[in-house]
Amino acid sequence: VSYTPRLTRRPLAGRLTASTFVLEQPRCIFPEAQSDAPMIWLVVALDGGRWRTGASAMGCAVPRGPLLTRRPAATEQFDPNTEPETPPLAFQTFPNNTAYATLGTSLNNYPCAQPTGDITVLRVGSETACSRDPNRPSCNGPLPGPGPYRVKFVAWNSSGLQAETLWSEPITLLKARPADDLPVTGSGRSTGMIVLTSILSILFAVLLACLVALLVTCSDSWGSSSFFSTKTDAVSVRRYNTHHVYDQPAARL
Amino acid sequence: MAKDDNSVRIFQGLLILGNVVIGMCGIALTAECIFFVSDPHGLYPLLEAAENDDIYAAAWIGIFVGFALLALSVLGIIGVIKSNRTLLMVYIILMLITFAFEMASCITAATHRDFLTPNLFLKQMLERYEKQDTDNNNDKLMSEGVTKTWNNLMLQNHCCGVHGPSDWQQYGSAFRSTHSDADYPWPRQCCVLDARESPINLDGCKLGVPGYYNSNGCYDAISGPMNRQAWGVAWFGFAILCWTFLVLLGTMFYWSRIEY
Repeated sequence: VSYTPRLTRRPLAGRLTASTFVLEQPRCIFPEAQSDAPMIWLVVALDGGRWRTGASAMGCAVPRGPLLTRRPAATEQFDPNTEPETPPLAFQTFPNNTAYATLGTSLNNYPCAQPTGDITVLRVGSETACSRDPNRPSCNGPLPGPGPYRVKFVAWNSSGLQAETLWSEPITLLKARPADDLPVTGSGRSTGMIVLTSILSILFAVLLACLVALLVTCSDSWGSSSFFSTKTDAVSVRRYNTHHVYDQPAARL
Repeated sequence: MAKDDNSVRIFQGLLILGNVVIGMCGIALTAECIFFVSDPHGLYPLLEAAENDDIYAAAWIGIFVGFALLALSVLGIIGVIKSNRTLLMVYIILMLITFAFEMASCITAATHRDFLTPNLFLKQMLERYEKQDTDNNNDKLMSEGVTKTWNNLMLQNHCCGVHGPSDWQQYGSAFRSTHSDADYPWPRQCCVLDARESPINLDGCKLGVPGYYNSNGCYDAISGPMNRQAWGVAWFGFAILCWTFLVLLGTMFYWSRIEY
């Protein structure tokens, strides 16, 4: 069947994460069968022969292969005639084995008619409960590394392999950067802060200078009490003027 | 003589008016700083964990400076009315001390505002949110504070992460080490929750279907209140200080001329 599986075109935020990816459903791809509808399986294989270093999401160590020599690609090694749900295609031993098969469902679940309003996608890697359970070889467990991976769909019924699609383009998952890499140095001094600091410093310096000048020039005459009496006299003089303002024109006259 | 009296009276009136304004501004400053210190948005744990909470120290200083300005303005009014040299000199010196404190508060608020960048909060969120293996009691308290604050932020502002949910994917975090990527591409608080605080569609949230998860980042909800606080303390204090500068200059001039 000449169909290439691909990632969903919808704008989903979880389209590619560190251990999952979202594919389009293979609707209207396989020929309809009247009786004995086949099961459609998704086969996931590691692309290329280089093993990735680093711990996988489940904690099982990915074996370090020689990085300089290329092993034959898992996609080339995969034998389509291996039946799904058998040990060679078990999820639990991936990626030691070449590929695993998961998401097995009947062809009737992929009818041609698209239900409107529903989101019809396949999330690869969403089952976390069975990732270590050997009784569930077709577990849709989280992927152990960033990949890249290639997928294809195969159709199996009781009489064996019926059809298979082409291999998809390599799908590379996200790789998280360590949080320590984030630079947290400040963004530098903003202009507002510089203006504020400089103006306030100038104002304060002026005030101090004025205070010092004031104390120096006026300190000689501050202590004397005649100043307060002068002020008192001025007040009394004012009062005197006010009281006698009526008398003065009269006196002049 | 009358003209001199008039000009002296006018000058006294101006100084009294200046001091009244200072008193009222002091009350306003105290009120504003009490509002900021009460932390209505609940963001203080983030700053405390980042050890960068000096904008709160600036607000505390502002509270006391406001009271001091009120008290000193009353002293100034009395001093100007009585034209008493001793009172006015005490007033000038205490005002200069208050000026210095308020200057420190403004500069602190403005300077430390510059340290609050998105990366600071991002790194803190990644390192402390839902951190389980804490080293000591202090670390545990801070991590719990950060976790609670982020949960409140995400619930109330309908946001996720600092720039968006992709923060949880692009960077490793303490959250990621305890919650698997397939089950929790981002925390549950990033999902749209119903009245009972459970996601309305968990699969939709994990897939990232628009409408079932919060796609915008929380940085605006953090930086908005913090900017308002920092600039509110800094620039209002700056305005008060400019006015105080003028009043103090006038008072010094008046003081030097009291002898006549």
